Order: sequence, then C-alpha cells, then structure tokens
Amino acid sequence: MESFATIVSILYQFATNGAFLLLSALGLIVILGMMNIINLAHGELMMMGAYTASIAWHRGVPFWLCAILAFVVVALFGALLERTVVRRFYGRELGALVVTWGISLILSQGALMVFGPFLPAIPIPGGSIALGQYSFSVYWLIVIALACALIAGLWSLYNYTTFGLQARAAMQNPAMATALGVDTGRVYTLTFSLGAGLAGFSGALFAPTVSIAPFMGQQFVAPAFITVVVGGATNVITGAVGSSLLLSLVKTPVGFVFGAFVGTVALLLAALVIIRLMPDGVSAVLQRLVDRRNRFA
Amino acid sequence: MTDPILRTEGLIKHFDGVVATNDVRISVPRGELRCIIGPNGAGKSTLFSLLCGIHRPNAGRVMLKDEDVTHFPAYQRVRRGIGLTFQTNRAFHRLSVRQNLSAVLQIPRADRPADADDRYRFALDRFGLDADSEMPAKELPHHRLQWLEISMVLAAGPDIILLDEPTAGMSIEETLQTAAVLKHLNSSGLTIIVVEHDVAFVRDVAQRITVMHQGRVFAEGTVDQITEHADVRRIYLGQV
Amino acid sequence: MSHLLKLLTGPEDIGRSRWFWAVFVAVCTLLFVYPYWLSEFEATNNAYYLLNVPIALGLALLWGYCGILSFGQVAYFGIAGYVYGIVAGNMTGNAFGPLVGSLCGLAVCAIAAAMFGYFVFYGRVQNWIVPILTLVLSLLLETFLGQTAGYQWRIGTVQLGGYNGMTGIPSFQIGRFVITGYSFYYYVLIIVVVAYLAMRILVNSQYGKVMLAIREDPIRTELLGYDIRARRLVVFVLAAISAGVSGLLYVQWGNYITPSQVGLLQASLPVIWVAVGGRESLLAVLLSTCALNWLNYTLSSEGYQYALIIIGVLLVVVMLFFPDGIIVTLARDVPSRGWRALVGLHKGKSG
Repeated sequence: MESFATIVSILYQFATNGAFLLLSALGLIVILGMMNIINLAHGELMMMGAYTASIAWHRGVPFWLCAILAFVVVALFGALLERTVVRRFYGRELGALVVTWGISLILSQGALMVFGPFLPAIPIPGGSIALGQYSFSVYWLIVIALACALIAGLWSLYNYTTFGLQARAAMQNPAMATALGVDTGRVYTLTFSLGAGLAGFSGALFAPTVSIAPFMGQQFVAPAFITVVVGGATNVITGAVGSSLLLSLVKTPVGFVFGAFVGTVALLLAALVIIRLMPDGVSAVLQRLVDRRNRFA
Repeated sequence: MTDPILRTEGLIKHFDGVVATNDVRISVPRGELRCIIGPNGAGKSTLFSLLCGIHRPNAGRVMLKDEDVTHFPAYQRVRRGIGLTFQTNRAFHRLSVRQNLSAVLQIPRADRPADADDRYRFALDRFGLDADSEMPAKELPHHRLQWLEISMVLAAGPDIILLDEPTAGMSIEETLQTAAVLKHLNSSGLTIIVVEHDVAFVRDVAQRITVMHQGRVFAEGTVDQITEHADVRRIYLGQV
Repeated sequence: MSHLLKLLTGPEDIGRSRWFWAVFVAVCTLLFVYPYWLSEFEATNNAYYLLNVPIALGLALLWGYCGILSFGQVAYFGIAGYVYGIVAGNMTGNAFGPLVGSLCGLAVCAIAAAMFGYFVFYGRVQNWIVPILTLVLSLLLETFLGQTAGYQWRIGTVQLGGYNGMTGIPSFQIGRFVITGYSFYYYVLIIVVVAYLAMRILVNSQYGKVMLAIREDPIRTELLGYDIRARRLVVFVLAAISAGVSGLLYVQWGNYITPSQVGLLQASLPVIWVAVGGRESLLAVLLSTCALNWLNYTLSSEGYQYALIIIGVLLVVVMLFFPDGIIVTLARDVPSRGWRALVGLHKGKSG
C-alpha cells in the first residue's frame, strides 16, 4: 500500500508538472506556434486572466464562471491588441518581440498602479483526497483533466472545423487563402484572440495556486516559451504535448530531490540539450517516426 | 586525362518521406560547361544543395577534386573552390552593390586560380556593374541582380560554379549576354554547371547535358544526342 | 595608420564628411573641458549617463550589425560586476586588486558567452530563440543571486548578499591612484570614446562587412566561404565583453551591485536604448543611450512606477513609427543640404 501510494504520488507530480507546462504554453501555442508572433506579453495576458478571475470571484461569481469570464475578457483584449499593434509585425519577428515586450511593461506596471501590489487571493476550490501518507488536491486533478480536454479541443478545432481549415490556410499561404475567399484579417484577429483568451483562461486556472500580483506572469513565461520551442513548429499541438511530457519527465525527479529552483534550472538545461539534439523540436522527430512507419507499412 | 573536378556516387536524399534525389550519379570533367535540365520536381535544385553542403545526403558521396566532401559544411566546400547561385536571387538586397561585392571572401587559397581576379573583373565589366555603387541592390533591375550574384560568387575565386536558373525572368538579349559571359568564363578554364529551362540558352552554351527526372539521371549526352532523344521530350509532357 | 583612419571614417556608420569629424572632435573637447564648471558630484553623475554606452554599443554590434538580438546582455553586466566585487573585494590591501578584478570580470564574461554561444550558434538553432534564451538565463541568474542572502553565501571575505546585493565594492585604482570623482569621469569618458572608435573601425573592416552579410542572409554568406557560426560566436563574445565593461564601470562608480541589475527592467533597457536610437548605427545608439539614461535618472526622481510605463510606451511608439530608430530615421530623412553634408550618409541613390 505504501509503495502504491508513492507511485501514485510520483505520477501525480509528473502529471501536475506536465499540466503546468502545457497550460502555461496554451495561449502561446496558438500565437507563437501558429502565427509566429513572439509574444513577450504572454505572461501579462495570463495575469489579466488571473486578475479578472480574482475580481469576479470576490464579487461572488462562482469560480468556473470566473475562468470563462477571464477567457472572454482577455480574448477581447487580444482582439484589440491585434487590430491596433500586432498586425503590423507579421513577418517581423524581432520587431514583434520588442513591441510585445513594451506592451508587457505597460500591462504589468499599469496593473501595479491601478490595482496595487496584490489582489486578494482565491482559495483553492475542492478539497483533497488522501492516499496513504499523501494527499492529492482535487483541484489539480481537475486542472490536469482540463489541460487534456483543452488540448484535444484545440486539436479538433484546427483539424476538423472550417475555421481551423481557413486558419491553417491563412497561416501557410495568406495570398492564396485570400484568393480563395478567406478573410485573412479576420482569421488573424480571431486566432490571436483565441490565443490570448486561452492564456487568460490558464491564468485564471492558476490564480488559486499563486499570489495574484502584477508581475505574476513572469513565472509562466519561461516555461511557456521553453515548452513551445522544444515542441517545434512541425506540429505545434502535438509538439507541445510531447515536450510537456518530456520536460516534466526531467523536472519531476529533479524537483522532487533538489527543490523547485533546481528543478527549473534542470528544465532549462534539458531544453538546451534537447534543442541541440533536435533543432526542429519534438514534433519534427515524431513526424519523422510516423513517416518511417508509413513508408514501411 | 585528369580526374573529374566534381562527381557523385549514389546520392540519395529524402525530406520527410519525399524522395528528392534517388541514386544520382554525375561526373563533371574539369573545364566543362554542363547543363542540367528536367521537369520541375526532378531534383535539380536538391542536387545542387547536396553538392554545396546546404543539405547532407541520406546516402552516397560527393567528391570535389577527388576529395570526399560529403560531410563537409558548406563553407569548407566553398573554400575548396565551389560556388553557387540560388534559384531565387540571394544577393544582399538591402545592402548596396558595393557592400555586396566587398563582403566576399578573399582568403588566400593555395590553389586559387590565377585567373580569378581577371574573371571577376571581366564579369563586372560585361555585366555593367559598378563595384563602388552605393545603390541598394534591390533597386537594380532583375537581370542585373542576377548578374550581381554571379559576380559575387566569382569574386571568391572558385574553380567550379553552379548556377541555378540564372536566366529565369530575363529577356532574350539579357539571356544572350549571360550566355556569352559564361562561355567566355568557361573558355578560361572555369567549370560551370547550369540548371536551365531555356532551350535556346542550353543549345548555345552546353557542351554536355544531363537530364534529370523524378530524382534520377534520366539521360546524358551532347546537345544533339539529347535533342534527338525521344523520351526526353516525353518526360516534359508527363508521359514517362 | 592611414588604413586605420580610412576604416574609421568608413561608411558603415552615420557621419563621413569632414564636417562631421570636426563636430565630433569639438564635442569631445567640450566633454573633456567642461568638468571645470561642474562640481565633483555633477561630474560623477555625468559619468553615470556615459557608463552604459559600452553595453549598448555591444548590443548594437550584435543586433544591428549582425542580426542577433540578445535580451540578456545585462547578465554579463552583472557577472562582471559581481566577479569584480569578489576578486577586488578579496584583494583590498593590494593596489592591483581592482585591475586583476576587472580582468577576471571580463574573462568570466567571455567564457560564459563563449559557452552559451557555442550551444546556440553551433546547434543551428533558429535565430529568434536567442532573445528568449538569453532573457531566461538572465532571469535565472537574478533569481539565483537573490537567494544568496545567508552568511554561507560568501567567497573569501566577500558576501554575495542576496537581494540586498554586494556592497563595499572597491573603486578602480592604478597603483596608488584611486579613480573617483573627476578622475572617474575622465576614466569613463576615455573608455567610451575609445570603445566607440574601436567598434567603428571594426564595422568598417572586412570583418564588419561580413557581419552585415551574415545579418542579411546567413546561408548566402556561408556559401561565400564564411564560417558563420564562428563569426557569430565571436561577435557574441565581443558584445558580452562590452556589457561587462559597463558592469565594471557601474560597480566602480557606485561601489555596490544588486541582483535587480540583471532583472527584468534592466534587461529591457539596452534593447530600448538601441531600438530608440537605431540599431544599425553605433553613433545613433551612443547618443540615444546618453539621452535616455539622462531621462531615466531624471524620471526616477518622479518615482520608479512611471519609469517602466514610460519605457513601455516609448518602446511601442518607436517600434510602430520609427522602426529603424529615431536618430537613424532623422539622419536619413531630413532633406536639408547642410544636414546631409554633416551626416554624409551613403544611403539612398548613388552619387
């Protein structure tokens, strides 16, 4: 019973680390992975989601509704941002990077000035389940399930819907897509908006687990970028899933033995090594494996 | 008879399941002007990228002047005397003509051809390029831009150059001018391999033609042999 | 010598004409002379506006001339500062402690940059990953330094000091002569002028021309026979050393350093100075860095809060409306003949 509980505990930590990476990266998968916009305001979009959730929750809105509200609010903000600023930087990667950095400074500093150094915390919903000497948070179990569901939903959206088809066409070949009647401007706005909304939603999900402060986004920026970059561009969704799993495989044991900070360092080093060995990311390797199987099938 | 300056053995390259070159074997003697023709997708540009080192083959060897350079990075091959121009012009468009030409390597190679400087200056002169011009390269007319890239490659003093569709988009006079310059350069001993679609151009300059189709060498021979080859015409019509 | 002069006045930066150099010499002379009218405090303040120029010039070299954006130049700023503090701090009796400390600081910067550069440039990683990785490493360094508060975090006799930072860092000295006050101002001024002229010579040299080519089209450049990975690595290390120089000057100015010097705000500042001035011109960056540092210092008396927002707004506005930088755009687009004569630009139609 003891060893079973320990195994479950390790699996649980693995799953929570993976879910953390995947959710941190969620919005960025769309914005960086699909639109190639290096969005350094990603952390601040998550912060906005957490702030929305906190403000709503303390007005009595049930938590899950707060999260949805966070999605909507940040998605609308994302649409505004895309229309005014971001769309001038398609194809200009370094420019997008610098301008989103400026936006991130405005947002985080603005939050500090308007709302002060902290917002009141949200207590973690749900209780905990005990197993042996360990207790597992019900909330995190739900979050893990949500992460899987969201990724599956994103996958279906892009591969099985008309919007997804149009979006992929617009990303790959805007001129051709326009010639075929796709409103690429609208697609870009919707896509960026979706990415922003997802970042906001993740931010709301994380809100009960962290202190809600103007610079809280920073703790998600590095993991998010690392996850997307290691995932690679060949297939951003499977790449992100693969890299979350792979990186969690490194972070969990190291973090378990040496603590969170060393765990993060290990994450970064693992990412560096993986990038060195697989410069096109995990998804490229997966694609090659699939191709090889198909050729010999 | 000297060994070929460039030859390959069984070059195979695939990208994510698509076979681009399939057991390609070519051999180019020193001082030849070879044209490579073939329908789109035949693997011509891929072959060039394998010869120069932009991509590594999955199998096979590339021998430059009898040295196995298959696993050499591109810059080391260039230093051993090979040069390439790209299908889509890759001169430095934002830089001036002067900057384009001055950015070229002048590493003293032990076997830099004696004629290298002459060839370069000849090309500049016949192509009408001013090496001190501060005009941004992108303001040059298309054919001058192509000529600029060729001149850049010549400035490095190669023994063999690979030109990927240099006359694409050029008028008839410009194509003739290009052909004249290439023939003159070749007569001074420079080995040239050109990928081309323009039949008149190929007839004019080629000493030997290699035909590629579906990643393989389909046929090889002199201009007359190839023009009389019944199947060559058919591959262009998709009948093979 | 005349070859060097030719490189100095070459076309890869703003200002070629004789008028330009006359103005340049005049301004330098003025800068050398004007401390006569300043108090020692004001002189050291002016030195503060200047000491960030090397890190900015290094970034201009790396980003503007070579096409590689590093968000983590401040990491080298901090490494040099901390290493100097440790080495010089442990050699306090020794007249050559600061010199040894400075050399050690720069050496560690170079080694760290070489290791990072090897990983990134020889790994054939995509270009845009560099800014993110460098930023992340810088933030990691800040976090690490921030938790060095305990007494056990010391090297020799020098405490790392956690978030409060390292204090009591010795000023620079040569033999018995300690460099503070007026002498510090001249020390910084000379270093800045020499750094600018040296970099200007570099960008006009053959090496510099190849840097431009690598920026424009790395594959084309490699196919001209250049080992672009090695060249990128060298430029990256040079930029790191420049950042280290600024770090040294900083700790030699204030005698302290904190982990926030490698944090988020500080990481964004060099990018802003370079973007606002115009990354493709060393001179523009030199001017914008001095101007913005002066502005920052003035603003910070208003309170730290506004500084970040103003910087954020400045970045967005500059990237939207002056993507090539304010000073570069001005230099290029002001139509007056007198101005063009002064600036002596090569851009635009030939002749």
